[in-house]
Amino acid sequence: MGGVDVGEVGKKRATNSEINMIPFIDLLMVTIAFLLITAVWVTNSRINADAQVPGPPDPNKELTPTTPEKVLNLHISETEFGLVWKQGSTVVSELKVPKSPMEVEDGSRKIVRFPDLAKKLEAEWNQHGGHKDASDRKLDQCILHSDNKAPFKEIIGVLDALYASKREMRFPDGTAKKVPVFNMTFSVR
Amino acid sequence: MDHYSGSHKKDPHAHVIHQPGKRLMRAVKLKFVWNKVMGHSAKGVNANLNLVSFIDFLVVTVIFLLMSFSASGEIAVDRNVKLPKAENVEDVIDAPMVAVNGNNILVDGVPAGNTRAIEELGRLQKIDELFNMLKAKRELWKTVQPNKPFPGVCILQVDQDVPALVVKSVFQTAAFAGYPNVSFMVGKINTSK
Repeated sequence: MGGVDVGEVGKKRATNSEINMIPFIDLLMVTIAFLLITAVWVTNSRINADAQVPGPPDPNKELTPTTPEKVLNLHISETEFGLVWKQGSTVVSELKVPKSPMEVEDGSRKIVRFPDLAKKLEAEWNQHGGHKDASDRKLDQCILHSDNKAPFKEIIGVLDALYASKREMRFPDGTAKKVPVFNMTFSVR
Repeated sequence: MDHYSGSHKKDPHAHVIHQPGKRLMRAVKLKFVWNKVMGHSAKGVNANLNLVSFIDFLVVTVIFLLMSFSASGEIAVDRNVKLPKAENVEDVIDAPMVAVNGNNILVDGVPAGNTRAIEELGRLQKIDELFNMLKAKRELWKTVQPNKPFPGVCILQVDQDVPALVVKSVFQTAAFAGYPNVSFMVGKINTSK
């Protein structure tokens, strides 16, 4: 047991007292049991995608012609990726990146990653990206064109590479946060 | 330790600093009983456990578990879905869950379509059951919270081997049903690896 010894002077009654540690140990044990039972060992996260597409024009508003923004079209083929920046229907630039997946063992399954693609995407955004200022709340748009038979893990590998490039974004309350430079959506025919 | 020795009468600081040693059974007031339980000046048969290291271990375990405690609880993932993993991810939020495995599509655990049928058809399509269930959920949300703008977020738990055609069909159906902000649930890769 834990004890507190404050000495014993003369013939006075001993002032030594012992702290009973058993309830303390019991409390620790119960706390551990509770935390172990309620523990979440597998943590899941999410990757954003955006299906927001412009709707039909409002007939009550007058249309003012605006220059369309540059949009990155990311084509996934069997052997390579195509990074095509388009402004409206005009192709601004085009780059082919060989498909070199890095497969990481994770237990019985493999995780597909594309580190080369991530580097090229960052370089492309630095060259052509339109929303770089920290006060700019908009993100550059990326449209993903994938084959219908491509497995989902490959798409997630590409999205992971797409979201690897980050920039600072300042919010109205004065806080700043690192956000991915691209906003992604699927191409649908 | 010094209960029967009276050594602190000689040393004025004895009541403050004590030698480490046995602390158990000090409450035994009678000396002959104490001698008896301690083994008559021979080696005692009673072994004392040092509780300090044990308590240290318990405290460290409690601190570790408290640090890793998640108040939001576990998010149910369909048993037949093997989630892919990614590094650049965000925290999961509270939203309707659409699970897509090799055979079925489920909304919060309720069947809402067949994956095989989409694959066999071979083209992008709107999944009517899924559309109706998501639409019903959206209308329920608007009824419950009429003054708040609808966030339009849903989370897709898609098996890593499901083809892109199925993913795009589910994605498009969710968008049609009023959920344009779609997220894919993934496992998180530790960046320290």
